[in-house]
Amino acid sequence: MANELRFLVVDDFSTMRRIVRSLLKESGYSDIDEAEDGAVALKKLLTSKFDFVVCDINMPNMNGFQLLDEIKKTDSLKHIPVLMVTAEARKEDILLAAKSGAAGYIVKPFAKGILDEKISLILTKLGLK
Amino acid sequence: MSATTQLSDSDPLNNLISSDIHKSIGLLTRQLHNALNGLGLIAKVQDLAGEIPDAQSRLSYIARLTGEAAEKVLNRVDQAKAQNEHISNETSRIGALIVQDPVSAVAKGHVMNFLNDVNQSTQIIDKHLTEIMMAQDFHDLTGQVIAKVVGLAANIEEQLVQLLIQTAPIEIGPKETKPTEAAPYQPQLAGPVIHSEGNAEVVSSQTEVDDLLASMGF
Repeated sequence: MANELRFLVVDDFSTMRRIVRSLLKESGYSDIDEAEDGAVALKKLLTSKFDFVVCDINMPNMNGFQLLDEIKKTDSLKHIPVLMVTAEARKEDILLAAKSGAAGYIVKPFAKGILDEKISLILTKLGLK
Repeated sequence: MSATTQLSDSDPLNNLISSDIHKSIGLLTRQLHNALNGLGLIAKVQDLAGEIPDAQSRLSYIARLTGEAAEKVLNRVDQAKAQNEHISNETSRIGALIVQDPVSAVAKGHVMNFLNDVNQSTQIIDKHLTEIMMAQDFHDLTGQVIAKVVGLAANIEEQLVQLLIQTAPIEIGPKETKPTEAAPYQPQLAGPVIHSEGNAEVVSSQTEVDDLLASMGF
């Protein structure tokens, strides 16, 4: 069931998107789309169905915090778990993300197993795994 | 130099020229001072001077990160190649055994052992490939830092150009230049932490992130 989930990977660096995509595939998730910033991601979220968002913070046009806010204030999107994967390591950013409704927070650079571990934890909490 | 071109304190003409030069220098100094004040640039120049060591730290961070990534990739490639060589040698050995006596090669378990060996080796190689992929995350991290250094350089350039315009001689300068507020250099998001040691405001590992969130009930 969990392996059928549709992921949206949001990061302005294509290298990072590829890394996250590959890690997701290794974990058994094959339905993955990408967006290079929050604005593109929001457009995709509003026009297509996604089950999970893996999101960077520091991006042009619309950053990760703004995207998170948009997701959480939109009725049709607010149920989607958002996992922040970012180089922003300030405690106030981490707490802000949590208060804004992020399902998890990973600081870059991260080890291979962390992404899978956090996604599994979130899906278990939501009863999707 | 001929005696006629030498400046002499006793020559009234030379005294007049010398006095004019001093006046000009004084005027330029006054204009520079006024321009810096008018633009609020004195504080900006001080701020920018303070940013330069930060830019140096950021560039050192880039050098360190790219160096570590290269080292990691080369180490993993060495290990993967060793595994690959092992498979290659074993394939040759088992091939020879099969050619020599196929029934014996199977009966004695050589073929089965070889298949298990290949399976294990490919898993190990796959791990090395994943680590090589993970090492590429330096592109994201250094890219963010480079963007900040480029922003800093652009800001310094802008300030210097503004300073040149304001301090240019009146006859070649703009007729009337309104003192403009230069865009402040205020990155909204800090990006990768260059020095996390001793900085209580940032986390330095994923464990610290998890502990922080857990302590706040998330």
